[in-house]
Amino acid sequence: MSTRTARPKNRLRLNPGPVAEPFDDLDRLTPNALVQWWVRRLRRVLKSAAADLPFYARRFAQAGFYPADFRGLADLQRVPILTKADLLAAQAHGGSHRVGIEQSAGGAQARTILSLSSGTSGTTYITHTARWRRLQGLASSRAHWWAGLRPGRPMILSAPAWHSYAAIQPFIVERFGLDCVVVSGTYLPRFADRIVDALLRFRPRFVTMFLPMVFAILSAALRQGIEGRRLFAGVDALLVTGAPITPGMRAHLQDLTRVGRVAELAGSSENLLAVDCARGAGLHLVPDTCYAQVLDPRSLQPVADGVRGTIVHSCTVPAGSLYLRYRGGDMGVMDHAPCPCGLPSPRIQLLGREEDSFSLGSQTLLPFDVQLALEEEVPELAGVACVITRESLAQGRLRLLLLAPQRSAATLLDGARIRLARRFAVPVEIATAPHLPLRFKGVPPILSESEADAAT
Amino acid sequence: MRLPPRSPGGAAAQPRPADYPFYRSRLGPDGRPIAWGLPDLEAFAVAHPGDPFAGRVLPGVAAPVALQLEATGEPPVWVALDAGELNRWAAVLARIWRRWGCAHGETIAFFDYGSSPLVLLASGSYIAYLRRGAAERLGLTTVCNDGVASMASRMVGILQTVKPTMLILRRDLVAPLAAALDDAHLSLAGRLRWAAVCEPEGATTRAEVDTLAARLGLPLRRILRCDGAFLLAGDCPDCGLFHVDPGYRMQALAAGEVAVTTVFAHLCPAIGYNIGSAEIVGPKCPLEPRAQRIACG
Repeated sequence: MSTRTARPKNRLRLNPGPVAEPFDDLDRLTPNALVQWWVRRLRRVLKSAAADLPFYARRFAQAGFYPADFRGLADLQRVPILTKADLLAAQAHGGSHRVGIEQSAGGAQARTILSLSSGTSGTTYITHTARWRRLQGLASSRAHWWAGLRPGRPMILSAPAWHSYAAIQPFIVERFGLDCVVVSGTYLPRFADRIVDALLRFRPRFVTMFLPMVFAILSAALRQGIEGRRLFAGVDALLVTGAPITPGMRAHLQDLTRVGRVAELAGSSENLLAVDCARGAGLHLVPDTCYAQVLDPRSLQPVADGVRGTIVHSCTVPAGSLYLRYRGGDMGVMDHAPCPCGLPSPRIQLLGREEDSFSLGSQTLLPFDVQLALEEEVPELAGVACVITRESLAQGRLRLLLLAPQRSAATLLDGARIRLARRFAVPVEIATAPHLPLRFKGVPPILSESEADAAT
Repeated sequence: MRLPPRSPGGAAAQPRPADYPFYRSRLGPDGRPIAWGLPDLEAFAVAHPGDPFAGRVLPGVAAPVALQLEATGEPPVWVALDAGELNRWAAVLARIWRRWGCAHGETIAFFDYGSSPLVLLASGSYIAYLRRGAAERLGLTTVCNDGVASMASRMVGILQTVKPTMLILRRDLVAPLAAALDDAHLSLAGRLRWAAVCEPEGATTRAEVDTLAARLGLPLRRILRCDGAFLLAGDCPDCGLFHVDPGYRMQALAAGEVAVTTVFAHLCPAIGYNIGSAEIVGPKCPLEPRAQRIACG
């Protein structure tokens, strides 16, 4: 990009290394320089939170944490962890969506909109001020640049207005000087025909879409006699959000769409943001506005690279709703090793929700693990719609309901059963269904037998 | 006939209606386009499948913002706007809300699709190139629920927690919302300054609005919405008629119908859009004595 979004201080060291197309100088920091940059930002935001936001001032005091003592990232361990339950409790106590984490939300120039949190555990409200939009918009512009967005063809807005991403996409469109395409309706499968029309009419080079909607629009196009490769003709990059994608799912999407680059954007409405490395070596944390750690879910101490844990993230800019050490319920792994692409930020992978964890044999797993195992053991089953039944897990076995493959079904399923049983060291049963909703493609849901029956 | 004049800084050479394939196909003996409606636009789109704008944007001209018309069938028809037009359309919406009453710092909630102009025009956060949305002009905070019935209980949560003072909702969502309010034992009476009901095209009839208002337990305002002509109008709490912004010119048609020409639309001109059965009523509403008015529905 021609215009910088971040200007690291001169004393921070730039990496003369291999970042092929840096967004700006922040992409060229050394990993150590990025740590220094984060420390400065976090110190400032912690001080601001203590000074301006009674919610945090109270919590910091109760924990004996004083922002002036913040010297390095290790000091974050002394900052109390914030959860959605804390926010819901504050919301209920105050009888308002404003819980005291909102920076400058009431000012005359705030230009405030609210978005809603995702999930089933209750709705919290995220405040977006004009400053928030500018700062988060710049961070997201970086993320989209990494994912392959370039000035040129139009961009289809692809987030429903209740979601925080909707407050970001218009900024990105303006930042890259793109034409803006608004599809009528909302992003639910029954509107897929309308998105198909938009893709065919405006031929974007870059498409961002929630993963389940990708399958819905492919299906809608097929009903019109349009194959995926024709629907996505001219698209250089497909950025999928909303679910972790396995290598097999990525290959499946590439096969269906013939798009050269299928990238994943992961994050949360509460400010976490990471996007696929151009070299395909994981998702780089977008450093402008967030810093993330992976902690042991019980001890809440940082885990080593590659060890699965709960993700805790902090906003590094004091604007809008400020989430500091927010434990949003995502499980993941972190990798701080130098990346061949040259970007300084660590790589993170979100694997699923803590509440979806289950025990199988001696292991604690996520649905992602089952999806991954299925495609690794039987590559022909990559991308298949699948359900895990809850009752089987309670009985220490794995029962999957799969959309019947078109070819060699019996052989494939028998092979999958044997190999999964060996891999997980538990009994495995695989049944087929003539129909499963497209939303089950990607990461298999855990459903009761009756819920699964109702869905088929 | 020439198109309405552009604001200063616009293109030097004004295209004529005949330059636009859609209008060229329907010029009357006086050289003006014959009044038209969405079915005419849809028919043109079917005959010209390669043109998303159905002949209303000059070939090769960039469309900074393209909106798919919700009220059109297959193939959907699109309209286009530039930044200036988007801002002028947002100003129309702000004037409606101001007339209905609002105060700086209050919150307006939407139970509608994010793609509705009523939402898009509220804030530059919802659509690119909008410098000052209607909410931003009035100092309002916005919150948008998704416009699907399954989100009715979430809408109740918004009403309870965010406490908006204004609500815009689609007609088809009134019943699910009312049911969700019943489930939550929540009454809207006294909670809102106003609530307004909208359609993807046209206006809900006064009789139906009265029924819906009784179901929700509060008065409802009416919105006249024709996205194909960038038309938004709100009814008047005083005279009950739709006050039409100076950004539109109205013309009575022979069959008791009214056509609207949108003064600020240049990229995708809206000339003589037939809004259907309506009557132009003279000004002199006590609330806005100079406002042009129409009665419809």
